[in-house]
Parts: sequence; structure tokens; C-alpha cells
Amino acid sequence: MRPGHPLQLALGLIVWSLWLVAVYAGLSLGCLSVRPDAGLGVGSWLNELLGLLTLLTAAWLFGCAWRLWRTPPPVLAARRFVVRVGAWVHLLAAVATLFVGLPIMALPPCL
Amino acid sequence: MLLAGCGGPQSTLAPDGPAAQAAAWLWWGMFVWFGLVLLLVASLWLVAWRRRPRSYDAEQARQVGLRWILAGGVLLPGLSILVLLAFGIPLGLRMLPLPLGGPPPLRIEVTGHQWWWEVRYPETGVVTANQLILPVGQPVDLELASADVIHAFWVPRLGGKLDMLPGRRLTMRLRADRAGPYRGQCAEFCGSQHAHMVLAVEALEMADFNAWQAARRVEPAVAREHAAAVRAFRPYCGECHRVAGISDGRRAPDLSDVGARPGLGAGTLEMEQGAMRRWLREHQRLKPYNGMPRHDRLPEDTLDAIAAWLETLVP
Amino acid sequence: MNDTRNPERLHQDFEAVWGNPRGWRALSAVNHSSIGLRFMVTGTLFFLIGGLLAMLLRVQLARPDLPLIDPRTYSQLFTMHGSVMMFLFAVPMVEGLAVYLIPKMLGARDLVFPRLSAFGYWCYLFGGVILVSSLALGLAPAGGWFMYVPLSGDAHSPGVNPDFWLLGITFVEISSVAGGIELVVSILRSRAPGMSLDRMPLFAWYILVTGLMIVFGFPPLILGSILLELERAAGFAFFDVARGGDPLLWQHLFWLFGHPEVYIIFLPAAGIVSTLLPVFARRPAVGYRWLVLAVIGTGFLSFGLWVHHMFTVGIPLLGQAFFSAASMLVAVPTGIQVFAWLATLWTGRPLFNVPMLWLAGFLVIFVAGGLTGVMLALVPFDWQVHDTHFVVAHMHYVLVGGMLFPLVAGLYYWLPHFSGRLPSAQLGRWGFWLTFVGFNATFLVMHWTGLLGMPRRVYTYQAGLGWDLPNLVSSVGSFVMAMGVVMVLLDIGLHFRFGRRAGDNPWRADSLEWATALPPASYNFVSLPACTGRHPLWENPALGRGIAEGRHGLSIVDHGRRETWGSDPLTGQVREIIHLPGNSWLPLYAALVLTLVCLSLLNGAYALAGVAALATLGILLRWSWVNGAHPLAAPDERTQPGDPPLHSRTFDGPGLWGMGTALLANGVLFFSLIFAWFYLWTVAPKWRPPAQSPLPELPLLLDGLLLTAIVLGFHRLVRRLRRGEQRRLEAGLWTLAGLGLLQAAWLARILVAMPLAPAASAHDALIATTLGYLLLHCALAPLFSALQAWRVCLGLVGERAPYEPAVVLQWWDYCLLVFWVSYFALVLFPRGIGA
Repeated sequence: MRPGHPLQLALGLIVWSLWLVAVYAGLSLGCLSVRPDAGLGVGSWLNELLGLLTLLTAAWLFGCAWRLWRTPPPVLAARRFVVRVGAWVHLLAAVATLFVGLPIMALPPCL
Repeated sequence: MLLAGCGGPQSTLAPDGPAAQAAAWLWWGMFVWFGLVLLLVASLWLVAWRRRPRSYDAEQARQVGLRWILAGGVLLPGLSILVLLAFGIPLGLRMLPLPLGGPPPLRIEVTGHQWWWEVRYPETGVVTANQLILPVGQPVDLELASADVIHAFWVPRLGGKLDMLPGRRLTMRLRADRAGPYRGQCAEFCGSQHAHMVLAVEALEMADFNAWQAARRVEPAVAREHAAAVRAFRPYCGECHRVAGISDGRRAPDLSDVGARPGLGAGTLEMEQGAMRRWLREHQRLKPYNGMPRHDRLPEDTLDAIAAWLETLVP
Repeated sequence: MNDTRNPERLHQDFEAVWGNPRGWRALSAVNHSSIGLRFMVTGTLFFLIGGLLAMLLRVQLARPDLPLIDPRTYSQLFTMHGSVMMFLFAVPMVEGLAVYLIPKMLGARDLVFPRLSAFGYWCYLFGGVILVSSLALGLAPAGGWFMYVPLSGDAHSPGVNPDFWLLGITFVEISSVAGGIELVVSILRSRAPGMSLDRMPLFAWYILVTGLMIVFGFPPLILGSILLELERAAGFAFFDVARGGDPLLWQHLFWLFGHPEVYIIFLPAAGIVSTLLPVFARRPAVGYRWLVLAVIGTGFLSFGLWVHHMFTVGIPLLGQAFFSAASMLVAVPTGIQVFAWLATLWTGRPLFNVPMLWLAGFLVIFVAGGLTGVMLALVPFDWQVHDTHFVVAHMHYVLVGGMLFPLVAGLYYWLPHFSGRLPSAQLGRWGFWLTFVGFNATFLVMHWTGLLGMPRRVYTYQAGLGWDLPNLVSSVGSFVMAMGVVMVLLDIGLHFRFGRRAGDNPWRADSLEWATALPPASYNFVSLPACTGRHPLWENPALGRGIAEGRHGLSIVDHGRRETWGSDPLTGQVREIIHLPGNSWLPLYAALVLTLVCLSLLNGAYALAGVAALATLGILLRWSWVNGAHPLAAPDERTQPGDPPLHSRTFDGPGLWGMGTALLANGVLFFSLIFAWFYLWTVAPKWRPPAQSPLPELPLLLDGLLLTAIVLGFHRLVRRLRRGEQRRLEAGLWTLAGLGLLQAAWLARILVAMPLAPAASAHDALIATTLGYLLLHCALAPLFSALQAWRVCLGLVGERAPYEPAVVLQWWDYCLLVFWVSYFALVLFPRGIGA
């Protein structure tokens, strides 16, 4: 998507929403396929999988924020605005991904 | 003064078990910190509003704004919630029914009904209602279920609450650190008499707890003077109520040890002289819409005889 | 667009086109100022009803074991208090304010779908009256405003009480969603020339995000209500564990709506704060971009929090922790807003007046409520205080502090708009202090009541638990607060008679709504000014006079059309002239027959309900018919030299955006249904899919291929129309309509022939519901296409007016999408799982 496209104002957080749905659904499905008494502790494959997804998503979002930040300011003021705020939205989304994903490091998945 | 106001039979701030203790500490910590934050924000607002205005040009205002937003709007809440999460997650984990090193904890099945509690000790087969007796100092696993709508099990001085859902069985780990009575109450709105769904909890020393269970494994004997009451009870009340050795109803609270309980009607009446008689006559006035029919069809002296007999059901 | 003309003469000319009819015909008015005011007045009445219910609750709880109110009545009272305040007061009130203000702030003459606003108002009024009438009949719902199953299912609530809630609230929600769609499209497409996104008033940003949140937030509850009503009325199984359903499905659907709802109420109020503060601090808002970022962030984050209402249902702790963290995270955008406001105040020269008092009250109360909200987000603490009076206190701090206080500030601020007069200072101060002190006396203490262990929604409590004194204080406080509210209403009422006349722009405000006359004329602006910055009236204080003298755009009205600018969503550059429909009875009629649908469903008269539903469809189609180039709309396509064309003569217009936004809402409803399918499949304790799927795969596949072919054909027609080729348009439309009818009939046959037992298993109930949904959409598509063919035949659609087929195309595309998603979910997914 072009850096000045108005949807940049939402894109980062849309990706964040999809990520949240994916980890929550992934957790439910993962715990369904293995019973909780299978002894999945912190650092189980399920944590690793969800953690990896979190890191990839956050990295992508940081990348987008960086790309928008580095975009030469468009001539049109409205587009400049979209690029600037869009960069912040992506940054917020990236931080939100990492923060909401933090518990993956600390909790067993299925209890 | 403040601490004196924290007491009460159902107060989360008078904890007597590890789970409730942790939640209480969380409260006090957050109360102090957030109180300071509120004070800070409110005074900043007041000062900003009432101080002598100074003039800022656009660039200065932008600088002030940026500094305030970053410090107060990003850093302050960001760090606060990071610390909270770091404290909260491990505490939450410790409240879960994780496998213990030693033998598995005592299991007790608690089932919510509109509007009473069914309590079963699967290891000994003991059944009671509206009261939960625990051994002191021992972790106990409560298996929570519901027979009708959603209820929630909650004994605030021992720990947080957990819903009782139809079709599911959730496990809650509790430990009472001191012997004595506690008060629990249904915490999920479950219909008209949600207010009168109280659970009398008592933590007993292990020996007392064992004695309590043992006493309930002996069927009560019926004294001769109560024979008529039992005859009236069996076809009428016995349809819904169980009394060990006499009737087998499952729809309503088990009455085998009703005389020994601290209350009637899941916390509606305290058990005292004449309470049973009053309950049988006036229960629809005391606890409207409860599931028991009015006993208008029974002659009053029969009702009184049944009450007198029930009061003797003390194992 | 040129020399000065006589303002009086211009006013008369415009009034002739834009004015409301008088007398009982005023019911056909569609003007946004009238509709917005109606929303607000009606909302205030419902607020008083809801407040009265709260007083009754507080009386009953004043002392332990009070025998004043019967427990069943008490349940009805608190259920209705919550429902009335949330659905009939808070949301309609902020929507009404937005409906009133947004066009004026954007420099437009009306919202882009004026008849939809009128329809929304009638749906709200009638739905609200239906719901509240249940109280008078003693049949009010009693399961709590959250209507948890199984308590509100037919086994435990056999009466008609929950049906009042389900039908009445759904009816009101139609109004909310209509309002949301309309506000979104108006903000995106009808701004003043040059009002690019970065120059938009902050209030418009808040309302844009709120509108989108309504579009995404309300459909899950609408679906939930439909499913629950189907379960109660037709015996379908969705929430019953024994038949493969799950009561937690209801909780997910409810809170998917319920949490965003809180922010839907809060954000417009925060928008009021962001509008008023700069005016009273006499400087532009500090951190415009930060505020926009915070609003967008809040909008999204608020959809990731719903599970924090479900921390006690036994979800794995890790799952809870995600939502715990997300809930806490909202503190960041909220903090950004609070400190941006503080910085505005700090660097400004603030005034001391009544609206500012209310804003200060807002700040203290709302920040306190936000902080207890962060506490509640912490799972182990929530396990203790969930469903206690602590939550009641928190929620009132957030809702009353976050919505009512800014709202009153806003009402005081915009009073000159409604009356042309200024409020008094003395009575207003009394009103504020009584409300503020009463509120805190009621609810500050209530935190303590909750910590002492008092659960919510109990009709009484025993003495000796430490709850007596705090409850008494709360009850007394609530009466003090009520006096404050009465004082405010008195002040506002009296000012209509005794208030000082307000001159032009009495607060020296910056935004365009103060460039109108006070009170404004029906058309808002005689001429539509261009926008050169974020603060039009600070940049040019004389703008209002120039507008009234017709110095700006679209000041000719002799064509008899209601016109406003259609502008580019990003840059605000003018693209076309939007011509708006005038006063009409159709919205009222449509809402009346919908009321009939609602009432006959309540009474179990399903045949009548079906007839009324068809009548509704007929009225809606008639409504759509008198659009575009229709003789009753805009038969004359000529515009002034230099002006852009009418939107109906282009390929882009508000209708296209309205259809798109409506389909977004519809899509959320559909995906909630698909979510229900996957959710029950994975989580329901007794879900038992049959060994052999009842769905006939091949016929369904062929039916879908036919649908795909039709949609491709429709795309081709629209592409050719875009190139200006009208040849064979009519024939093509007729053909596609015929094929579409065939496709829908085939789908209907498949549905009827399938051996489904929706009353016996949730599996079959969901299949039946999904296919029914598909059938409804696939049946409407050929109907719309046939109407288009007819319009081509009458010359209402064609190369000169090529706009409408593209709108219908969106519907077809949507049918195609939902068909194949359903095919994947119902046919392919189970096969994959089975293998």
C-alpha cells in the first residue's frame, strides 16, 4: 500500500487485531489437540509457536513503522499527515503486539 | 480506623488464605500507587486551570505538549502496567490448581442450584447442602458445576471466584489458614433469589474434619416420638429432599444433617429455636419464588411435627 | 459564489427548499438538526426513566433486609436500568449530538442520508417505547442487561419478558447502526472544500472512529439476539449444552459488542472535551496528531478486551492474560488524551465557567474510573471483585464521569445553538456541585462496599456484614445527585425563557458550527465556505457574515434541489455535488411496519410478522426507487458553470459508500455466525457432528458456480457502463436477475430438502441459520437487479446516470463472498477435520 494511503491510519492496528485473533484461536485449538494434562509447561512448543508468531508480527509492524518514518514527506499536507500518524499507528500496534504477547513467556498454555 | 473498616465476614480485605491474601496485597499496592496518580493528575489540572496564564508561542506549546504527553501519557501508564503485569501474572499462576508435589488434594464437589448449594465429598460419599466444611491448612480442590443456570462460587476471605457453568466442571484451589467460619455467596446473577444463596463455610482442624465426616456416614436413627412426622415427610417432602435412610429426593437440598447447619434457606434464616418451624410455614414470604411449594395442604400440627423432627437431624 | 446578495431573500429561497413542514406534517421532516434534537430530547426522557429506576434500587438497598421491593421486580428494575441507560440513553444521546453537529462542523448542509436519520430516529423511538412498555405491563426482562443464558432461555424465563428485550433492543440497534453508517459516510464524503483529514475538527475524528466502532461492534449482539430469539421462539439449539450448544457462546457474542459499546459511549464524550477545552483555554488543542492517534488506538484496542468480562468462566490463564494485557494497554491512549488536554490547559489562558466546571469534574471522575479499570484488568484481583459493587462503582465512574459529565458540559456549550440564548451561571454551579458531590458520595463509597464482599444484583442483604453504612451513604448520595440533575434540567429549561440572547459565536469558538445563525436555519449555511485551516473561525472571524451573504459555494437554490458538497475523503477537494432527498413519510412508515413485525413476533403471530416484513421490504424498495434521476429526486442534471456534476451522474456517491459500510456491518454479523460455528465445533462440551454431513455437496457447489458466473456477468455490465456503453444493459440486467432467481430458488430447494433437525442439535441449527442467511441475500440480489433493469427501461439509469448498478454490484459481490466462506466453513472444514 502506498505510504500516503488513508488506510495506513488503520492498517497497523488491523494487523494487530488479526494477530490477537490468531494467538487466541491458536491457543484454543492447540490446547484442544493436546489435553492439558499432557504436561505443557512454560516454554512448550505451543508457547514457542505463539511467541514466534508474536515476534514476526511485531517485527513486521516495526518494519512498516520504520518505512513510513523514512518516507520522504509528500507534498500534499494531508498525505504528510497520513504518513506521520500512520507511522505512529504501526508503532503503537507493534508495541501492543509485544506487550500483549508478554505472558506467552511466563505462563503455561492450557491451564 | 481504615483497617477496622476492612473487616467483615465476607470482606476481601480480611484474607485468611493464600489466594485471598495475594489479591488483598495487590489491592493495597494498586490503591496507593493509583491514588498518587489520581492526586497528581487532579492537581496538575487544578494548577493549569487556576494559575496565572503565561504566553507560549506555537513552538513552545508544542514542546510542552510533547513532553507532557510522552511523560504522562506514554511513560507513566506504560511503566505502571508493565509492573502490574509482572506482579499479576505469577500471582495468578499460583492460584491455579496446579499439580502438587505430594498427594493430590482433597476433592469436594460443589454444585449450584437455584438457589442453594449441593456439596459432596466423593471420597467418603458424604453429602450436605448450603454448608462447606474444610480441613484447615490443607489445599482443597473444589469441583464446581451447575444444575441449572450459571452461578459463581465465591468465599472472599479465602480466594477469588469461579463460575459454575452448566455442562462444565471447573476446579478451584482454596486453602483456609485459620479454623473458623467463613461466608460465601453466589456471585453470578442467577435469578430472583440470587441474594439468598449463601454458603456457610467452616474450616476445621484435621481431626475435627475427619470426625465431622465420620459422623455423617452413620444413618440417623428415628426416635419413636418422630415416627408420625417421618411418615408424613416421606411421600410429601421426600419427593425432593433426601434424608439418609428415609428418602431419596435429589431436586432439593439434602437434609440428612440439617439440624447441625448454621442456617436455613441458604442463608435466609439463622438456625435457632423455632427457626425450622418458621421456615416451613413462611418460606415463600422469607425467600419468595424459592423452589419449595407452600405447605398449605398439610395440617399445621403435622408441619410442626416435621419441623421438630428435622431439628433433631444432628449427626 | 460572487457578489453580495440580500441575506433575507436568500434565507427565504433556501427555507422554501430546506424547511420543515409545520404541524403534524413535521413528522415527515428529515433535517439533521431536527432529527438530532429529537434524538437528544427522547434520550433525556429515557435518561429520566432510567434514573428513576436507579432511585428505586437505591431505596431498596438503603437498609439491610428491607421488604419494599419484590425480588422479581427488583431484577426487572436493575435489568431495565442498565438497558435503558446503555441502549436508550447513552448511545442515542451521543449519536443524536453527532447527528446535530457533524454536518455543521464539516461545513455541510445535512448528513448524506437524511431519510436514514429519520428512519433511525423512529426505530429508536418505537423500539424504546416497546422496551419500556414492558415495565408498565409488569413483563419487563429480568435477566440482567447482559441477558446471560441459560437464565434468559425459555426453560428458566418462560414468559415473554426476555423477548421484549431481544426484539426491542434489536430494533433500537438498527437505529444505532444506521446512525453509525451515516456519520461515517458523511464525515468521509461531505466535508467543506479543502477540509483535508488533517484539518478535520477533532470531534469529527472521534465521531468517525465511533461510527466505525458501531458498524463493527453492534452486529455481534444483533446476531446473538437473533440466535437467542430463534432458540426461544422456534426451539433452535444454540446455547443449550445438552443439544451441543454452549452458554459461553452468548457471553462471547454479547461482550464482543459489550466492551466496544463502552468506548462507543466514551469516545464522543472525549470528543466533546477535545472540542471545548481548546475554546475555553483560548488556544488550539495541543497534540492534534497525538489525539488522532489515541482515538484510532482506543477504537481498535477496545475490540481486543471483551474477554475481561469473562475472567471467571475458566478460560486458560494464558488466554486471560492476553486480554488482561490488552485491557491495561488502553491506559496508554487514554493517558495520551488526558495529558494532551492538560498541556492545552497549561499553555492556554483558561476561562472559569460552568462548562469548564463539568470538564474538571469529568477529569477527576473519569481518571479515577480509568484507574480502577486498570485494577480490574489484573486477573487475580478481578477474580475477587468481579461481579461485586466494586465493579458497579468502577463502571459508573467511567460511564457517568466519562460520558454524562462531558455531555452536560457540551450541552451547556451548545445551548446557544438550540435556543439562541446563554445559560445562567448561578443555577448551573449549584447543579454541578450537587451532582458532583452526590455522585461521589454514591459511588466512591461503593468501591468499599464491593471490597467488603457485597455482590452485584442482590435485592437485599443481611445486617452485620459491614455493608449497612456504606449502602446508606450511597443511597443518600444518589438522592443528592438526583437533585443536581434536576437542577441542571431546571437551568436548561429556564434558560429558554430567561437566558441572555447569544450574539454571533458567543464563546469565540473556532469550528464551523458557530458560523451558522443561532439557532441555525434548516439549511445551516446559505453558501458553503472553503476550509483553509483547522480553525476556520479563528482564521476568519467574519466568515459567518460572508456565508449568510452568499459569498461562497452552492448558493443558488432555484433548481429546488437540496445540495451539499461531495468531497474527497483524504484531501476534502470537491468531487461532485451531492443532492439530498427531501422530507418524506417513508421513513416513518417503514419504522411503523417494522414495529408491527416486532409486536407480532412478541405475540407469536408469525404469519402477520411475515406479512409486515414483506410490507417493510416494499416500503424500503419504494424509498430506494425515488432516488437518483427519478422525477421526485433530481430529474434536472444541470449545475452552475464551473461546478462539478451531481453525484447521481457520476460513478461515485454517498450511496456507494453507504452500501459498502452497511455491508461491512452485515459482514461482521455473518462472520459472527461463522465464529459461532467454529466456536461450538471446538469448545461446546457436547458438540456431536453427524457421521454423514446433511449438506449435499455437489448441488451446493454447482449453485455456487452459477452465482459466481452471475457476479462475473454483472461485473462485465458495470465495466461496460463505465466505458459509456449502454447497449444491452437492460437485457443484461434482466438476464442476470432471472439467473439469480434461479440460483436462489435452487438454494431454497437444497435447504428444504435437507434432513435437518435444528431443534435437536446445534450443528443442524447453525447450518439452517447460515443457509437461511445466504438464501435471504441471494434472493434479494435478483430483485435489486430487476429493479435496475426496470429503471434502465424508464431512462432513470443509463450512461447519463450510471451510478446505481455499481451499488447493486457490491451486494452481488457480498453474496459471492458469504456463499464461498459458508461453503468452506460448512462443507470443506468438517471434511478436513473428519479426515
